[in-house]
Amino acid sequence: MNKIWTYLMILSITALIFIEPSAVVTEMTNASLDVLSLCVNLLAVFTIWMGLLEIVDATGLGDKLANLLKPFIRWLFKIKDPETEKYIALNMSSNMLGLGNASTPMGIKAMKRLDDGSGKITAPMIMLLIVNATSIQFLPTTVVGLRASAGSIDPTSIILPTILGTFITSVTAIFVTKALEKIFFKRRG
Amino acid sequence: MGFSVYIMPVLILALLIYARVKKLETYGTFVKGAKGAFDLVLGIFPFIATIMIMVALLRASGIMDILVSVMAPVFSLFGIPPEVCELELLRPFAGSGSYMLLSDIFQQYGPDSYVSRCASVIMSTSETIFYVSAVYFSQTSVKKLFYAIPLALGLSLFGTTVACFLCRFI
Repeated sequence: MNKIWTYLMILSITALIFIEPSAVVTEMTNASLDVLSLCVNLLAVFTIWMGLLEIVDATGLGDKLANLLKPFIRWLFKIKDPETEKYIALNMSSNMLGLGNASTPMGIKAMKRLDDGSGKITAPMIMLLIVNATSIQFLPTTVVGLRASAGSIDPTSIILPTILGTFITSVTAIFVTKALEKIFFKRRG
Repeated sequence: MGFSVYIMPVLILALLIYARVKKLETYGTFVKGAKGAFDLVLGIFPFIATIMIMVALLRASGIMDILVSVMAPVFSLFGIPPEVCELELLRPFAGSGSYMLLSDIFQQYGPDSYVSRCASVIMSTSETIFYVSAVYFSQTSVKKLFYAIPLALGLSLFGTTVACFLCRFI
């Protein structure tokens, strides 16, 4: 991340010095402002989801969902901590429903619990990132909405290829990640 | 689309009724959970900002356009139409930006064209990888992501290939 970021920054700024030097600071400020307003939105959305999540937690429903997905999560992440399992279960199920905003806070919590504090990434952390990046989607609501507003005659026609496509990608991703795990993390155990 | 609008309201309603039946202190519990949101967003802001500042410069300098034109022939080897190339390249960086691009594609080619259908499915098979990894790892001690990013990008390209292939038949 460090190298990619530095090189791309150097490259872009060098190019902009020749094209339009005044744009450098303006673009940076605008981007930062955009992120600030994104974060204000996120704060509003996270407040709702984390409030509801706390209720889900208190009712014990989170544990029930985690129990249901336990065999799968254990196989996927090789973990035995029920608290982490619960966050992962909630993260994965909200991802599948296309609720990206609801899944993010739980994903962050799960990732924090998977961290062993050594500063080194672990196999289950990579798996969690990959599972999030390639999740199965049953309800691509935002895209369907955008298609409808663009005047599509059949906005939902992409749901079937989306489910199939994300399913194929997701299954492949899990197996590829598992295979790489065996190669790179064999000795670290 | 019809039934999907009911999913969230019904789930939330069911949760609240269930909590009531169990006689839980819902109000206080919600407040307790909501408190965490502030720290969380404050914690992830610098990470997203740093990434997006780079992306903004990349686009303003025209380097993004150059990348698109260089990558287009490579993508067409995988059966990915050149029209969705910019979407495929921008997608790992910017969520809202790629939705804007998707709308542009709908406008330009018509929402029911092959290109637009491909682009629609790509949005779900790919993810804003740089954003997600910046956010997810922001609360951990991890400094180097090892092979996580290239792996995610590779799988995302695979997903796009599958998406374009499926759109030809379905």
